[in-house]
Amino acid sequence: MHALDPRAKLLLSIVLAVISMLFLEIFPLLIILAVLIPLIAAAKSLRRWLRSMKGLSVLLIFILIFNTLLSTYPNPLNYSIALVLRLVALMTSFSSFFLTVQPDELSQALIQMRVRFEFAFAMSMAMRYVPTLGQEAYAIMDTQKARGVELDKGNLLTRIRNIVPIIVPLIIVSIRRALSIAESMESRGFGASKNRTYMDKLSFRKRDWAVCCLSLAMLILVIYIRLYIPLPDWSIPF
Amino acid sequence: MIMMEDVSFAYDGLYTALQGVSLQIDDAERIAIMGANGAGKTTLVKHLNGLLRPNSGRIIFDGVDAKHYSVAELAREIGLVMQNPDHQLFLDSVEKEVVFGLKQLGFSEDEIKERTKRTLSSLGIEDLSERSPFTLSGGERKRVALASVLATEPRVLALDEPTIGQDARQKENLADMLMKLNKKGRTVIVVTHDIEFVIEHFPRTIAMANGSIIADGPTSAVLSNDEVIRKCSLTAPQLTQTARSLHTLFPDVPERLTLLSELEDEIVRVLGGA
Amino acid sequence: MPLIELDDFSFKYYGAETLALKKIALTIEEGEYVVITGPSGCGKTTLCRTINALVPQFHRGYIAGNVIIDGKNTRENTVAELSSIAGLVFQEPENQLVTLNVEKEIAFGPENLGVEPTEIRRRVEELIELLDLEHLREKHPHEMSGGEQQRVAMAATLALKPKILVADEPTSNLDPRSAEIILDIISDLNKRNMTVLLVEHRLDLVSKDASRVVLMDKGSIVADGPPREILSQDICQEIGVGVPKATLLYKRLKAHGIDLSSVPLTGDELAGLVKEAS
Repeated sequence: MHALDPRAKLLLSIVLAVISMLFLEIFPLLIILAVLIPLIAAAKSLRRWLRSMKGLSVLLIFILIFNTLLSTYPNPLNYSIALVLRLVALMTSFSSFFLTVQPDELSQALIQMRVRFEFAFAMSMAMRYVPTLGQEAYAIMDTQKARGVELDKGNLLTRIRNIVPIIVPLIIVSIRRALSIAESMESRGFGASKNRTYMDKLSFRKRDWAVCCLSLAMLILVIYIRLYIPLPDWSIPF
Repeated sequence: MIMMEDVSFAYDGLYTALQGVSLQIDDAERIAIMGANGAGKTTLVKHLNGLLRPNSGRIIFDGVDAKHYSVAELAREIGLVMQNPDHQLFLDSVEKEVVFGLKQLGFSEDEIKERTKRTLSSLGIEDLSERSPFTLSGGERKRVALASVLATEPRVLALDEPTIGQDARQKENLADMLMKLNKKGRTVIVVTHDIEFVIEHFPRTIAMANGSIIADGPTSAVLSNDEVIRKCSLTAPQLTQTARSLHTLFPDVPERLTLLSELEDEIVRVLGGA
Repeated sequence: MPLIELDDFSFKYYGAETLALKKIALTIEEGEYVVITGPSGCGKTTLCRTINALVPQFHRGYIAGNVIIDGKNTRENTVAELSSIAGLVFQEPENQLVTLNVEKEIAFGPENLGVEPTEIRRRVEELIELLDLEHLREKHPHEMSGGEQQRVAMAATLALKPKILVADEPTSNLDPRSAEIILDIISDLNKRNMTVLLVEHRLDLVSKDASRVVLMDKGSIVADGPPREILSQDICQEIGVGVPKATLLYKRLKAHGIDLSSVPLTGDELAGLVKEAS
């Protein structure tokens, strides 16, 4: 899974997401998940996926309960479960992309899909500097705490006011950093040539083409099934 | 005054930053804490003002366990000046910055006025008091950050890497100011890589490596130990190298760490006077 | 024709009250190792940025006079055009690593200039070997120490194959051992004929390798010559520059009436001279 070209993975994820959207019955959605989860497992990202699902679980339970109680559908529990499953399937389809694609692969893929270099690079730079900014924020909090600023005390208004000594330095420091980074990039010719080259380019191999064809075939098949083949009603009697 | 008893600390419970650290700090001391990056120097100092709390062991202030005090309460006694002044400055005038620090610790209006004036002039930045800190140079911003903490006149002043990027004169001024403070009975602690600055101004050095204290004593003894120098990613200062080179050629010149004036006298002696 | 020529060059940043550089006249030939030093605010940082045209192309302001680098006038050439002639290494390592691993970082410069991919790969491999970065190849900048980051930043600058290396206090944020490593690399590069301009406060570490020291104060050059000549002058103390201790001792001994035969820059040299005098 990891070895595929990110563009092939992107197509696969989109196809899976579309397929998830085509159904609102429990059984077909379970089948879809039965395909997706082994895919994630094959990509050795099962644990990370479970963690994100855990984060989502509150929302899912909320949807389940409220939809069952408030829905005007003939079979509310059935409908709610299907809704939840569809949401999971949708999220998992996109997860399968983001969990298996490295940021610089993504950046390169975007560039080769004709996104302008500056935008793709801005995206990867943002990812590069997130941990740095995080550390900076902690350092600022420590500094202000050391002056006696109490960040975790007081009512809502006080707490909001106490954000100012954190936010202002963070913004200033980030602007200063950005200027410094710009100097370095400029000194290395950033933006110099319209014909920027790339040391490592992505190229499609046989397996990438295979995955693409398979994805499209799967999509067409499923659309056909959805439109023309009536599905048995596997609903929970409730 | 401050005692650390067998303090251990790990970030996120995983990354051990301090192991079994014990030390004692009294009034009116001047202490340098040295060590390689990641040795635990900053972690140790952050335990002094409660920013970090030990996983095991205790920190005792004047007989009372530090866990009974909040960071804000400890800030009255321990002033910590961090490395990057831009992490601190957020108001639109230098004066307001200093006032802010004092207000946070609950000083009265009159006290605030008086202390602000005094501190700004002691650091030579009173004519910058209306300026916005963001328009000042790096060195000036460092002094503003220092002023804000200094105004509270803490019993212990700890500075994290105060000499980085400073030219020789700025370092001298800083040293003068720290000496003045020390003469008033305050303890000054400096975390730094600047070995020459330490040798000249700090009689006691605590050397750390891998979260433990590997040496704690008179600077001349601690920093003339090659093992300590190596473990702390330091390089022997030029005066020490000079003393060593002289020692190999003139065995009666002592090989230990020296001050400039001591070496000067030695050489004059060796060459039989003027 | 000299490689670097500042011809009565003056510069004032937009919005500043005073000139950052006042009629600077400086000529540097190929292969020189020039250390530039002076108190804070003397203009050394601005001077560094004139060499690759960041001043005046990126940092705008009022200029007078010319800066000619390898025959190119910085008023007329872009920073990109000069990037393969003069490479700049800055003080803060974190702000020079903009990509997610070392290979990409080194490739960044050449890629920007449209260098052929196989040539880029060749340069990357060459620099990884030269600067001992093999064990860091796949690492994220966050996983590296300051010294390692600065080595990568140097590799990334050298990837453009500049003739001149300008380093603006590259060791300020590093521990002494890492600082030594970086300065050794710079000295090494100079031995291979790289022209070096280094801004540094710690003269005890660099003066022994430099061929020339330039002292600046308040935007002007106040002294310019071989290290032994310049560092033994009183002007150093006057403007507040930290001279190597061995050189300081030389001067103090002179005050005692002891005249050593030459100006020492290191402890070894001083010891040797004392022996000679005894």
